[in-house]
Amino acid sequence: MKILIIEDEPGLSSAIKDYLTTEGNLCETALTYETAYQKISLYTYDCILLDLMLPDGNGFKLLQHLKSLKKAEGVIIISARNALDDRITGLNLGADDYLIKPFHLSELNARIAAIIRRKNNLYSNVLNFNEISINLDAKMITVNEQEVHFTRKEYDLLLYFIYNKGKAISKSAAAEHLWGDDADMADSFDFIYTHIKNVRKKLSDAGAQDYFHSVYGVGYRFADI
Amino acid sequence: MNLFTKYNRLLLAVLLVGLLSIGFLFYNALNYTLNSKIDENLREELIEAMDYQHVKNIFPAPPEDVDLVIEYKPALKVSRKQYSGDTTFYNPRKKQTEFARYLKADIIFGKSPFHVIILNSKAAQSRQVQIVFWAIIIPVVILFGLLAIFNRYLLMKLWLPFYDILNQIKSFNIMKASYKALKTNISEFQQLDEALQQMTGQIEDDFREIKLFTENASHEMMTPIAIINSKLDTLLQSGTLAENDSNALLDLYKATNRLNKINQSLLLLVKIDHELLGEKVLLKPAELIEQKKDNFKELIDERHIKITCLTDDTTILGNKYQFDILLSNLFSNAIRHNINGGEIRIELKEGELRFENTGSKGELPQGQIFERFYKDPQSDGVGLGLSILKQICIKQGFSLQYTYRPFFHCFEVKFS
Repeated sequence: MKILIIEDEPGLSSAIKDYLTTEGNLCETALTYETAYQKISLYTYDCILLDLMLPDGNGFKLLQHLKSLKKAEGVIIISARNALDDRITGLNLGADDYLIKPFHLSELNARIAAIIRRKNNLYSNVLNFNEISINLDAKMITVNEQEVHFTRKEYDLLLYFIYNKGKAISKSAAAEHLWGDDADMADSFDFIYTHIKNVRKKLSDAGAQDYFHSVYGVGYRFADI
Repeated sequence: MNLFTKYNRLLLAVLLVGLLSIGFLFYNALNYTLNSKIDENLREELIEAMDYQHVKNIFPAPPEDVDLVIEYKPALKVSRKQYSGDTTFYNPRKKQTEFARYLKADIIFGKSPFHVIILNSKAAQSRQVQIVFWAIIIPVVILFGLLAIFNRYLLMKLWLPFYDILNQIKSFNIMKASYKALKTNISEFQQLDEALQQMTGQIEDDFREIKLFTENASHEMMTPIAIINSKLDTLLQSGTLAENDSNALLDLYKATNRLNKINQSLLLLVKIDHELLGEKVLLKPAELIEQKKDNFKELIDERHIKITCLTDDTTILGNKYQFDILLSNLFSNAIRHNINGGEIRIELKEGELRFENTGSKGELPQGQIFERFYKDPQSDGVGLGLSILKQICIKQGFSLQYTYRPFFHCFEVKFS
């Protein structure tokens, strides 16, 4: 996948680039409005990450420019402004998603994956990971073609780990993914443990391998090895 | 009391006092003039009577004038003094009692002394006085009346710009329209208008600046946190973390999370303060409570908290976003400060929402719990949850109360 990161903070931009590149994505960065404008005009991407406040221009204008070119890139606005009207303006201008800083890279990755899937993979709405198969329309999980019942949060959690397969996910990232703004009980990350235990049990009961690996108490990694 | 009423009352009081004093002075002056005229006549009459008696050696016959009466009475001794004054007498010729002026004097007639009383009826003069009095007072009263009415309407018209300004100030809303300048040629109102234009302009500028500051500050503070967070995420991927590093990483996650939470809470407070959170809509608290309960289900189950929820179908008018935060804070508060195996009771009844929870602490200090950054030393929160709650209640026009009855902390929100 080809992703354009429009973000003026070099630190954040490089961290996003590093994280997404290890997934096998091709990432380009634009630190200014000007370069972003040129890149948008010249090339085509699968997904664009757009910061609203750039030193030499406004992200909304880039969005308008992009839409005027009638390009079908998925756009995720990444902004520290969480004013409601900004969100609405952004989404009305044709952005696909809106992520408020600070965010976890795994969250960003999951959202990019969801958008790219929606854009490119319209025929098959089934996501496979070895013996686990997820029907994204029906929100149904099957292991070896045998349905396993998951609660909504368990389903979200598994999907989140599969989108970030091979990556270590911190408990706080997983908690924020599931509870959003309500995950403010900083020391309650332990409840994520209960959730993962449940998901693990349901998968192994259905005959799946255990793909969850602990990362020294910080979090988990969902991987083949 | 409004300006006109006050002004009119003062005007009427001044007019009344003025009118009374003018009337009083005028009446007395008129009376005095007439009395002196009558007295002079009486003295002339007396002199005439004395001359007549002196020449003819008899008392003169009663005068032909119906209003004049002369009486003679024998006296013991003669005094040189003459007395005059007002009295009433029975006028035998008119056969009625009348007001009169009298003159008393002593004369000597054939060596024996007599009292002479000359009475002059004032009936004719009284009529004169009355006619003159009313002829002057009535036009004055009419004039004053006209003046009062005229004043009222004239003032009303003159003060029209003032009321315009007053209405504008009353309905001034920084979120909506700005102050409209008015057209008037009265310099005081022009000055007031200018001052207000300047003031509202300043307020609007400040407001815009604060709004901008909120957003910029948000951006400026969130970006470094975002960088820290993302670097931590990348660090986590290295896969070569020793247990020590892991623990350090976990602590860093917690610290950034906390920093983020404080930052967001403060910005939220600023936004609520400045009412940047949109319009009010009709909400169904029962549904929203059910959704929240579902969202917090795992947290509640985790601590084996028993939750009971009694709701009716109350609807309220409020801002959805703020109400959502209100519920979130009530829930997280009730869960966070609860004990394992404790209890939460939620009751929504007749526009009143009660959140009761068991807790490890006794009664909390009423006055302090809603203050910013107040928190229990053992609490892992940032100490802004309850002040956000309070602020939302103030802005939404709800009342918020904390009470404690043994083992239950109760937060009560009244929507009205």
